[in-house]
Amino acid sequence: MILWIMVLLYVLTGVCFITYLFWRRRPAVLIARGLFLVSVTLHLLLTLSLTGPAHRIPLASPVQAANMMILFASLVFIFFAFRRQTAVLGAFFLPVAVIALGMIAPRLQAGAGGPLPVMFQAWYPLHTVSVVAGEALFAVAFVVSIVYLIHEDIIRKGRLHWTVASLPPLKLLDRILSACLGAGFVAITAGILFGALWASSLGVDLSQIVMKISAGAAMWVVFAFSLHQRFAIRWSGRRTAIITITGFLLMILLFVGINLAYPGAHGAGLTR
Amino acid sequence: MNRIGCISINHRSAPVEVREKILLSPQDFRSLCVRGGEVYALTTCNRTEVYWTGVDENALVQHVAALSEMPDEEFRRHCETFRGEEAIRHLFMVASGLDSLIIGENQILGQVKDAYRQALAAGTTSVFLNKALHRTFRTAKRVRTETSIGRYPVSVASQAVELACHIFGDISASPVLVIGAGDMAGIAARRLKDRGAGDLCIINRTFPAACDLAEELGGKPRSFSALREELLRCAIVITSTGSPTPIITRSIMDDVMKQRRNEPMIIIDIAVPRDVEPEAGKCYNCYLYDIDALKSIVDKHVSFRQEETDKALAIISSEVERFARWAGSLDAQATIRDLFSLMDEYIASEMGANSLEPRHAAIVEQRLRSSLKRYLHRVASYLKEHPTLTNIEQTRRIFQLDEDYQDRHKG
Repeated sequence: MILWIMVLLYVLTGVCFITYLFWRRRPAVLIARGLFLVSVTLHLLLTLSLTGPAHRIPLASPVQAANMMILFASLVFIFFAFRRQTAVLGAFFLPVAVIALGMIAPRLQAGAGGPLPVMFQAWYPLHTVSVVAGEALFAVAFVVSIVYLIHEDIIRKGRLHWTVASLPPLKLLDRILSACLGAGFVAITAGILFGALWASSLGVDLSQIVMKISAGAAMWVVFAFSLHQRFAIRWSGRRTAIITITGFLLMILLFVGINLAYPGAHGAGLTR
Repeated sequence: MNRIGCISINHRSAPVEVREKILLSPQDFRSLCVRGGEVYALTTCNRTEVYWTGVDENALVQHVAALSEMPDEEFRRHCETFRGEEAIRHLFMVASGLDSLIIGENQILGQVKDAYRQALAAGTTSVFLNKALHRTFRTAKRVRTETSIGRYPVSVASQAVELACHIFGDISASPVLVIGAGDMAGIAARRLKDRGAGDLCIINRTFPAACDLAEELGGKPRSFSALREELLRCAIVITSTGSPTPIITRSIMDDVMKQRRNEPMIIIDIAVPRDVEPEAGKCYNCYLYDIDALKSIVDKHVSFRQEETDKALAIISSEVERFARWAGSLDAQATIRDLFSLMDEYIASEMGANSLEPRHAAIVEQRLRSSLKRYLHRVASYLKEHPTLTNIEQTRRIFQLDEDYQDRHKG
């Protein structure tokens, strides 16, 4: 019940941000900010309630990982929502967040708070939190990239409608994109290293999780390429946005694909 | 309401040769503002208007014609006149930019306010015109906030600045290069300066002309040979030279963008023939707009402003109606009537708040009514003896008889 109230609050927040995009009045953004704060607080409490008596980080299943990713991304967008120039980004993030939450909500509480499996050692929280934080930052970069491409297309074609005035300037979007990619890449790299250390400490047969490793490596390469192009030959702007969107979609595809094709691939390899 | 009138010489009724002869200041009308007369004069490059009340129209026209050193007949030929509601409607339309050469321009409101400040300083306005002008400001504000009439820039220079803001946001941190020192380049550079551009560099083939414009704008003049160097440094480029061939080619831009490491750049080419090769706009992160591209955006904006005009006219009509109601109440009898209606309302609300027995209620109501009548009688007698506009207005204000004052009280 509380879960669906949270989804409803996210929907209302999204509606308010979209209203603000088309009707640039202060009450719209004030209501949107208030609702967003309430939604994220409720989301945080709900996620904490999934830890259970064992105080396990609620990342036991792909669904819970997706939930954590949306929560992290929401926390980043809260920061944007309270800045005048970036407040409108919520209008682009919330619809994506609502669709994702709607898909995972029915299965979010499955297996919550269960006993702590043997695989959960010290490296586990470092690995999972780093990876999820990195993925959340890529999700933010994905949304910002979409806004960048929309805004740039409008500017190039000269279709300057007044709603465009509320979009952040291209230079600012590019700076946010760059920061999210940089921080996300560091987090993902750290997560992969922690994961490797975790697996080696358990003496895991890596052949069992080869698909997961390959998918992670593919994603890492895409973002490494994007960052390299950006800093080495200054592919700022449109090209970075296109690579980011491609990389994020690939990440989702691999995330869903691996978990569907190889259910439990992660855990199976790590539980002896 | 019929006490107000307006004479207007504007861009529709008179050519510029006539308009430029008429330059008025509020001091010119002080002699006319006797025995309750009020005059407000507005002079801009596109219009000269005089609003008056309590003044003889013929005397006013002769006075203005004499000040403009024009024969009476010629002055009347170029003059539009409005009376009553139409004069108020015209004032509201002027201040809202609906009567301007460029519909929806907002500079006029500042000019109306400046003229009002001067009129106040000269003491040529009083109750009626003060109220009319405050209403004007309110109407113009409503038109601006409730319609999209002023949202889109409709000049090429403003549009260029708008585009730069969409890319860079705060343009104060972006270096600006102006190539050419002609009128168009100057206008665009001034717009950028107004929007906060701090680092301006002006390049021109004739160096003294670059120095003049740079001095006016607080920028830095450079010789034409420094073009490539400045292209590397500046993020916003406005070019308007008389060169018959492009001065910025694709190969130059390829080289520049490579050295700039693809840092975004916007080039506004308002020259005809063009100063920048169209191919140069295909460089990565280079946004190139020529005069046709800017004009097509501006044309769309102009037609949008015209669509918004209907909404603005509806706001103006409602405000004219409201003002007419206020003007209609500026009568001693009407004010006394309103005072006694207020008393009835007060008694009704007091009696409603107390649950007295009917017998006692009748006595209390009678006592209350006779006390209040005695009290209001003094005000009513004074108004009958001295029915001046100032006294009526003050009474209405003190007793909050108009919705304006009621709104203010609640707010």
